[in-house]
Amino acid sequence: MGLDHKIKQAEERAGAPRPLFITITSVVLFLLAAALIGLAVINRMPIAMLVSGTLQTWIALALVAVLLVAMAWGIWNRKDWARITLMMLLIAGILSLFVQEIFSLFSIIFAGERVLSLGDIANSLVTSLIHLFLRGTIPALLLYGLLKTGSEFDVSASQREFVDGIVRYLLFGIAMSAIIIVFMIIFFTMEEAWESVEEIGLENMLLGTIWRPGSIIGEVGQYGLLPMIAGSILSTIGAVVLGVPLSVGTAILLAEVAPQSVREIVRPAIELLAGIPSVVYGLFGMVVLAPLIRTIDVPANNGFGLLNASIVLAVMIIPTVTNIAEDAIRAVPRSYKEGSLAMGTTHWQTIWNVILPAARSGIIAAVILGIGRALGETMAMIMVIGNSIAFPEPLTNNPLTMFLDTARTLTGNIAVEINYAAGPHRSALFFTGLLLFLMILLVNSLARYLMRERQT
Amino acid sequence: MTSIDTTPSALQDRNVDYALKGNLRKRKLQQTIAFGLIWLGGIVAVAMLLWIIGYVMREGLQVINLEFLTTRPAGGVSGEGGMSTTIVTTLYLVVLTIAIATPLGVGSAIYLVEYAGESQLESPLVRRLVKIARSGVEILAGVPSILFGLFGFALFVSALKLKFSLLSAGLSGACMILPVIIRTTEEALLAVPRSFREASLGLGATKWQTIVNVIIPTALPGIVTGIVLSVGRIVAETAIFWVTLGGSYRLPRNLLSAGRSMALHVYSLASETRAFDKAMGTAAILIITIVLLNLMINILSRRLTARSQGR
Repeated sequence: MGLDHKIKQAEERAGAPRPLFITITSVVLFLLAAALIGLAVINRMPIAMLVSGTLQTWIALALVAVLLVAMAWGIWNRKDWARITLMMLLIAGILSLFVQEIFSLFSIIFAGERVLSLGDIANSLVTSLIHLFLRGTIPALLLYGLLKTGSEFDVSASQREFVDGIVRYLLFGIAMSAIIIVFMIIFFTMEEAWESVEEIGLENMLLGTIWRPGSIIGEVGQYGLLPMIAGSILSTIGAVVLGVPLSVGTAILLAEVAPQSVREIVRPAIELLAGIPSVVYGLFGMVVLAPLIRTIDVPANNGFGLLNASIVLAVMIIPTVTNIAEDAIRAVPRSYKEGSLAMGTTHWQTIWNVILPAARSGIIAAVILGIGRALGETMAMIMVIGNSIAFPEPLTNNPLTMFLDTARTLTGNIAVEINYAAGPHRSALFFTGLLLFLMILLVNSLARYLMRERQT
Repeated sequence: MTSIDTTPSALQDRNVDYALKGNLRKRKLQQTIAFGLIWLGGIVAVAMLLWIIGYVMREGLQVINLEFLTTRPAGGVSGEGGMSTTIVTTLYLVVLTIAIATPLGVGSAIYLVEYAGESQLESPLVRRLVKIARSGVEILAGVPSILFGLFGFALFVSALKLKFSLLSAGLSGACMILPVIIRTTEEALLAVPRSFREASLGLGATKWQTIVNVIIPTALPGIVTGIVLSVGRIVAETAIFWVTLGGSYRLPRNLLSAGRSMALHVYSLASETRAFDKAMGTAAILIITIVLLNLMINILSRRLTARSQGR
């Protein structure tokens, strides 16, 4: 019935006179195409271009002309696909006009070369608006007209099915984007790292203890990554030692011990803290923690180093670990808890003997994800760890003073040097990235494995 | 229990009772100590986080005034000047990144939720590819940001010759937030009741019409939540932009010019100029931005739950 109705409508429409707007649009489009081709022919552009070798320009020109003619034909016959295509082109055009205008307006108002008076700002704002109005009115009116006359156009069943089919493949392609990016990251990092593997050698980089890029021509660089590997692992261990007890304690508190009202305040606060930029934590480490650590009376202790990095990292992983561990504790079936309490145990005994063992794999997964985050942290590390390229060593006889020594992480190694590195140096930095990627991949798949185990 | 019974059996019972009570006291003590430690841990964790935020806000708010917000950084090693250009650059970067990542992320999620399920129609190859695509999203979510930076540096900055620019940084940033958008959109789509799809398909709409006219509008608050979440990630991100954006303190004039985001500005000030007060001011603005974005997410998710409960 619906189809009959549609057909009848279409027949009526075919008989009815074509609205003026549609006629004009169609004719204008056709004239545009004709003008394009005409200009090309008059100026002998095809020949000139073919001779000068810009074949692409000519092909592009031809394509545009064909598209214009097709749309003119489609709109003349009131086909919906022509309308949709034209509308999309118009929207793209208006958007690009808008973006250009924003760039030029902002570069006047916000360039901040001098403080502008309100009058100046209003002046450039109005100029911009007029500019936009002059260039955008015709496309906008056309767009408006096409929107208004939407009911005049036909959407045939075959068109709907065609779109439906195309969209399926298009979306399939888009759904592959994530994995394509993963492969591209692996490919580009490996490709860039290959030179260093060939020239410097895997063994020299993984086991070498001296990092001295040959910046002076003729000098042979040394690219031992072991100090950075040690720096990354030691700072992560420090962060785990300091941060995990606090996080797991907080998770137990939120999931089991604290009243609902406390949870309602603390949980969003911790979620908020997960979003605070890492540079803010780094800045805090530089300005507040470093002077505090400097008060520890050990020679050559300048406040920057592994301890500072560990504290900053610990604070940064608290939100991640707390959230996931709390979820794991909450996922323990209620019946476990009730069964244990019914046996006469105290709440704490139930938590310690029943709930925590049941949530174990989830909590471990939380800790491992925290480790992943700590290993990958970059900017805060550069700011507080001191960035020395030497192996961290104890400053006195006490081996724990090693944590007061400066170090450098793998991530920091990349970020500090990549902007000016070249040749094998640059390639060695990409190898650092590859190493980091493999470490993170290992850590994360372990966490994922544990979390999956929990679900089953 | 109140009156004392002196028959032998009752006496024995009482002894057991006493033993139990002693044990209970010990266990209660254990519990008190353990809970005390847990509370202490929680309080220390929250106090540390509050200390950091409080310190940065207190120091930062002293520098913030209209001039600081509306003049550009002076550049060089002086660290003087304001932060106007970094605010605008951050804004450009956010809009650009979202514009690149949203179509990809939402499209991926739509395919993974709406199309990948109907597997009886698909070939085994497609099914396998979908499985790989899912693990790709998971891997991407765990990649540390410096690697996105390194990738962007190799591909966009060097190989595609986009130089250090808004476009390079936006493309690299889009790779980072793609998994965030995919995951949140997937969740939002899964929350749309099955009956909605069936009703729409039953009226004769095609699958695509159902998605555009029924499913996406219903899932919109969830999708927007994911986008706001990604905005937060971009505003907070430093490592990627450190290696792709170039760090120029001037305002970018087009997509191919270099710039400096707010987070990058904090880093540059702190590590190159020692103008810690200005760095604190910029950091305070960053924190305020993140708090506002979080408020937005809370409002959105509240609306989302209200809507799903209203049904």
